This record gives sequence, structure tokens and C-alpha cells, in this order.
Amino acid sequence: MALLGSALAVFLAAVLAVGMTRWVGDVLNPLALTVSEKVPFSGGSPPDFHAWNRFHIRWYTMALLFLAFDMEMVFMYPWAVVFVREGLISPVEMLMFILILLVGIVYAWRERGFEWA
Amino acid sequence: MNPLVAVVLIGVVMVVSVYLVAVIDTAVETRVSGGRGYARAWLAPISRAARLALQRRTVTERPDAEAWVLGPALLGGLAAVALTSIPFAPGVDVADIPAGIVLFGAALLQVMVAVVLHGWGANSVFPLLGAFRMAAVGLSMGIPFSLVLITTAIPAESLSVGAIIASQEGVWNVLRQPIGLPVYLITALGFSFWGPLQLPDGADLAGGTSAEISGTALLVWRIARASILVSLAAMGAAAFLGGYLGPWLPGWLWMIVKTMGLAALMIWSGHRIARARMESVVLLGWTVLLPVALVDVFVSGALTL
Amino acid sequence: MGVREALAGLARWSPVPVFPIVGGGARDLVRDLRLRPEVELVATPRHATLLLVAGRFPSGAIPGLAVVHDQIPVPRATVRWNGEVSDEISSARLVGGDEEDLIATLVALHREMMADPSRSGPPILPDVDAVEWRGVGPYGHGGKGMTGGTPYGRPLAERAGDRDGIELDQLPVTIGPWVGALPWGLELAVKLQGDLVQEVEVGPRLSTDPPTDVFSMATRKPMTVAVLELERARHHLRWLADALSIQGLSALGLRALRLGKILTPHHQREVRRLLAMVRRSGIFGLALNRAGGEVTGSQAKGLGPVARAGGVDDDARRDEPAYRELGFQTILHQKGDAAARWRQRMAEVTQSLDLSDRAGDRTAFGAGLVEGPRGRITANGPSPSVVVLDLLPQLLSGLEWGDAVSLVWSLDIDPTESVETHVDNRGAS
Repeated sequence: MALLGSALAVFLAAVLAVGMTRWVGDVLNPLALTVSEKVPFSGGSPPDFHAWNRFHIRWYTMALLFLAFDMEMVFMYPWAVVFVREGLISPVEMLMFILILLVGIVYAWRERGFEWA
Repeated sequence: MNPLVAVVLIGVVMVVSVYLVAVIDTAVETRVSGGRGYARAWLAPISRAARLALQRRTVTERPDAEAWVLGPALLGGLAAVALTSIPFAPGVDVADIPAGIVLFGAALLQVMVAVVLHGWGANSVFPLLGAFRMAAVGLSMGIPFSLVLITTAIPAESLSVGAIIASQEGVWNVLRQPIGLPVYLITALGFSFWGPLQLPDGADLAGGTSAEISGTALLVWRIARASILVSLAAMGAAAFLGGYLGPWLPGWLWMIVKTMGLAALMIWSGHRIARARMESVVLLGWTVLLPVALVDVFVSGALTL
Repeated sequence: MGVREALAGLARWSPVPVFPIVGGGARDLVRDLRLRPEVELVATPRHATLLLVAGRFPSGAIPGLAVVHDQIPVPRATVRWNGEVSDEISSARLVGGDEEDLIATLVALHREMMADPSRSGPPILPDVDAVEWRGVGPYGHGGKGMTGGTPYGRPLAERAGDRDGIELDQLPVTIGPWVGALPWGLELAVKLQGDLVQEVEVGPRLSTDPPTDVFSMATRKPMTVAVLELERARHHLRWLADALSIQGLSALGLRALRLGKILTPHHQREVRRLLAMVRRSGIFGLALNRAGGEVTGSQAKGLGPVARAGGVDDDARRDEPAYRELGFQTILHQKGDAAARWRQRMAEVTQSLDLSDRAGDRTAFGAGLVEGPRGRITANGPSPSVVVLDLLPQLLSGLEWGDAVSLVWSLDIDPTESVETHVDNRGAS
């Protein structure tokens, strides 16, 4: 736990350093922007709309597939550690699991899930 | 390691390596462009940083201020925490925990979140498009990235980065698992959004997620992005090139040489390989890199038995 | 010495970040600034310190100037090169003369800004909201309901059907005319659904007075083939420089630009080396694969490399005796997409250099019709860029934004030049 504490300290210090740098910049150049200086950039024309919108991501099937594989990764970390100790049974078991997931990839690919369809 | 010493160590490592990355980048750019004047490569990063420090930061009219601050801060923090899991020399590490590559992988996958927050924050069209691009790149590269890292844990029978380095005494993983390093480097380009995978901040988006930032905000964003590249290069050196192992030179020097070598390779790719299309990246990740990474897991694993 | 002075002392040596606004007749000059280590052309005003306004604009009005100027963070300053200071930018520094004079002014002005930010140019536009919105509506956010307001005078995106037949958000946004991602002066009114371009309208053209390059001169009197072909090769290398930097290969683009500047017929080896580097960059496999944008058949007529990339054997050089003597044969590609246009121009660079080398003192053209680097320049027809701009809406709709940008660059458009030959030749005939 002491090790993780050091890692956490490093994380917080880096986050703080980023914040400090911004703060130093704001001291040197106070943030007093006029309305026109805050207009979002798109090449010379002020926007008619806010940019935020319900963004249509064309690759959403891929995102679902990622969820399936990301769960599988959780199992693979401990599996890799015991791989050598368990012998041939471990790759065979994992392969069965992965093959089922691979069917999902083939299906998504066939359905053009990886394209901006 | 004592938290205070850890902070100083990682701080020094990050500052020096980010400076070197900037120098290498300028030098490679000069070389590829057929220009002259390598000397300016040493001064340019410092003078640019000073210039950005004197420039006013930008806020847009209706930003998501919290997300806009959190993005760069998270990116910098993740680069730092990713470095903690890697031993720089025998016994010199901040947190070589038993689940080291889990910590590293978790930190790197969060990069996606940091970049998406950063692009979302500005409420401007180019950063927003950049944010969603990062989500697609990150999701496509995440699985092969983790798979090739896990494979290095198989011969070590441990998830600790120190144990993975120790297991390469004799033969490095780059020879034992030859598929691993190329897949790792390609996915690493995705997570550092560098070179051919510089999609979130690409030139076709006029800077993408960084199109609306200036001054110190731009400075820290660039530093954080270079730190991510360094973290990835350092892990590449540890997991595939034997880390600090090597003859003649002291261990820490080997680690620096290998890390900067991999970083230089990725920087070089940025000037010599074209930026890929979004569709190409997603297809590459899922239909090429993922199957290849699975082959790596099972073939390399079977060979270990 | 304070922190500010120390930083200013270091910042003096930084490359000067310049955001360019480029009108007619200044494109080549501004592009060449990329070769100077003292200057760095940036893609967004947020990364710039100096605004460079160069070239001529229709009736003196510069669209978007005030908006872009105010988007440059403090400290900022404006330089107007070879033109007048309009009322809008009364604080601008006027420069004439050549590149060296411009560089000297840019560097000096940048150092001045770093040392004394109080001399930064004040905002041009007034400090008032575009639309009165504060305090309006139940939450004071400018309108009806939780998301129905118009804060800062801007509503949220509209809804519209997409190609799958679902109603989704559609964001209308005008991109350009001054953005690093598009050719200088090109303005596109785009409707985005996610990252997909649904509809495009091309904004107003910025054409000014007639060009004075060798190709427009060749419409009036015969020119030597050696000069014409060398200029054609240079043109394509300049195009390559721009197009490469958009594909993330700015260093390779600089190499093309540098080569184009010193190009002679004896540089064939260097050109081949550059083109090999371009091919090895994987651009055809990674960036231009399936990018679409086919221009073929009658659509492509008179569009020079764009036509020939689509298999249309259309080249005014075929009918010139001088070119026939040289054994000129048109190079053709078939698919007519973005990749084919890249291949076409890359092949034509080598071909033009070879022709220029062997041409001796032969002359060609002079009777109104000339094969320019962008296509056919005729006595009273529209110039190639005009034709291509009219094709854009149809070509871009349905593409991912990155693909749309690749496509625009593959067409080699100069919006400032678009109707110039048209006007010029009508006057002459």
C-alpha cells in the first residue's frame, strides 16, 4: 500500500503542477476577455449554434464490442500469471472463451460495424 | 519509495525527457524537410515555452470549465502515474507493485477520457470533433495494447514490471515475442495521439482538441502529451527490450537509451508516415491488430510452456 | 530581473507564430514563409501572436478579419503586407517590400509584444453579446425550457433526418475562410451530423484581379515550353507541400516546397527521391484509401490533372506542335478519386521536368487556349477552380470531415483565383 501511496502522491503532484502552471500564466496575463475574444473559432465566422450536440457516433457497435473485450481483459491479467503453472489447460480454456468473442468481431465486421456506415 | 523522493524523481524524469522529445522532434523535422540548422533544436523548446508562458490563456464564451481544466491535468497526472510502475534501474522505482502492468494499462486507457474531456470543454466545433475521434481511436487500440502487454507477463509469471524485466535476463521479449513490440508501438501512437494517429489534434481539424487553447494551457497540454509518449516508450523498453538489462553500461543508462530510442522511433514515424483515416484506424485496430495480438498471446504463451 | 523579463528574454528567440489571412496574389509568398525558421504558420488564431494580412481582396473588404483578430490571444499585433490599412485594423503595421523585409518586421514586432504586452492590439469588435439573452427565460439562460435557451445568442443544434432515416442533431457551422484545414479563402457552410458532412454550400468567392503567371501570359502570346513545364512542375510541388502538411506530413511538405523553389530540369533525382518518400509514407494505403470523391466523365472536362486522373484524355498540350515534336503523351489514371489525383500530379511533376529538359527553345500556345496546371484556361470560359468549387457540394456530402478535407486538397483549389481568368479574358476578347 505504501507503494501505491507514492504513486498517488506522484499523480497528485503532476495534476497540481499542471494547475500551477495555468495559474502562473493567469497571474502574468490576467484573464479579462471581451465578448468577441471568447467567440469559438471556426475560421472567421461567428458560430450560429453551440457546438455541443447529441453527437451521432457512427462506430457505436464498435464501442459495444469494446465492452465485451474489456471485460475479457480483466480475466486475462490473472490468467497470464498462472499460465505457466497451470500448463496446457489454461490456453485451451481461454481460447474457447476468446473464440466465442471473435465471432462477435466477425459479425460486426460483416455488418460494417467498423465503418462510418 | 518515500513520496517526496518519488515526486522529485518522476518530476526530473518527465522534465528532462519531455525536453529531449521536443529536441528530437525538431531535429527529425529539420532532417526530413531537408533543411539546415540543427542547433536551434536545442533552444527552440525553451523559447517556445517562454513565449507560451507570456501568452494569455483563452476561454470560450460558454465552456465546460471543469472538463477543460480536468483534461490536461488528468493527462499530465496519468503520464506521471504510468511512469511510477516502471523500474528505471535495479531497485530504482516508485511503485513496482505486483500488478504493475494493470496500473499502467489502467492509466493509459484513461488518456482517452482526458482527451475527450479536453475536446468537450471548449464548446467549439473542431475540439468537439477531436474529442470523439479520440474515443474511437482509444477504443480501437485499447484491446490489442493490453493484450501484448499481458503477453509479456506470461514468461515472468507476474504482473510486476520489475519481474517482467527480470524474466528477460538472457533473451529479451522482443525476440521471444516478435509480434509484440510492433503492435505495442502502433497502439502507443494511438494513446499518445502522435504521428500517423494524431487524429484528435490533427491538421485537418486545425489543431483539434487544442484548437481553442493558448498560453500556459497549450504549454501544459503539449508537455502532457509528450509525457504520455515518454511513459509509453519507457514501458516499451521495460516490457520488450529488457529495461535496464544490458552489458557494459550501467542499468539506468540502458533504460534511458532504450526509452529515448523508442520515443525517437515514434517521433520519426510522425514525420514520415501519413495520418490515417478514421475508418482505417478502427478497421486496423479490430481486424488486424486484435487478431495479431491474440496470435501473440497464444503462440508466445504456448512457446513458454 | 523579474519573471516576466526573464521569460521575455527567452521568448525573443522563439519562432514567431503567425496566423495568415491571404488574398489574391500573395499565396506563394506566404507559403514560402514556411521555409523560414524564424516564422511558424499556425492553423488557428489561438496559437498565434501575429496576424498577417497579405494580398488583395475584392473591393478591399476582408471577410472574417475582425473575428479572427480578436481570437488571437493577448499580446497580439497585426501586419499588413503590400496593401492598405483598412479602418478595421487601424493598429496594423504596414510593410512593403520583399520577404526579408516582412521577416524582419514580424520578428521585431513579436519581440516588441513579448517585451511589452501593453502595446497589444485592442479588440476590434465591441464588447457586447450578439443577442440580448441574460435574464431571459425561467432560468435566466436566454429562452424557454432547460435546453431551449439562447445563451450568447446561440441556440443548440437543429434536428434533421440522417441517411439512415433517423432524426438526429444536425450542427450547421460555417468553416473558413481562414482556417489551416482548408485552402486559404475557402469558406464552407457545412451541416455536420456527428463527424459526417451532410450538406455543403460554398461561401462567397474572394477573386480579385487577373493573375500574372506564365500560363495566363501564354493565352496572349506563345511561351517557351521549357519555362511553362518547369512552372507546371513547381506548381504541383507547391500543391504537394500544402496537401502533405494537411495529411500530417508537414516536414515532407517543406521538402517539396524547398525543392519547388530551386527547381531546375536537373533536379530529377531529387524529385524522384521526394516522390518515393511520399509513396513510402503510406499515404495511399492509410489516408486516401476509399476516400471517395470521384470526378469522371463530362464533369471533369477541362480540369487538367483532375480530368486525367479520372481517365478523361483531356490535355490542350496534345494539339500543340511543339509538344507533339517532343513526343508528349498524356498520363492517365482511371479511378478519378482523391488518390488518383495525387498519383496523377506526382506523375506529371516528373513528366513536366522531363519535357522542360528536352524542350530546347520551342514555344507553344498563344492563341487563347492554354493547358494550365489546374486545367484548361480559355478565352472566355470559367477558370478550373470555378468549375471545381461548383462540384464541391455534391462531392463532399456524406463524407467524414477528415475525408472531406483530404478531398478538398486533392482538387487543388485556389478560391482567390477562381474567376480571375474569366474576367481577364472577357476583357481581352
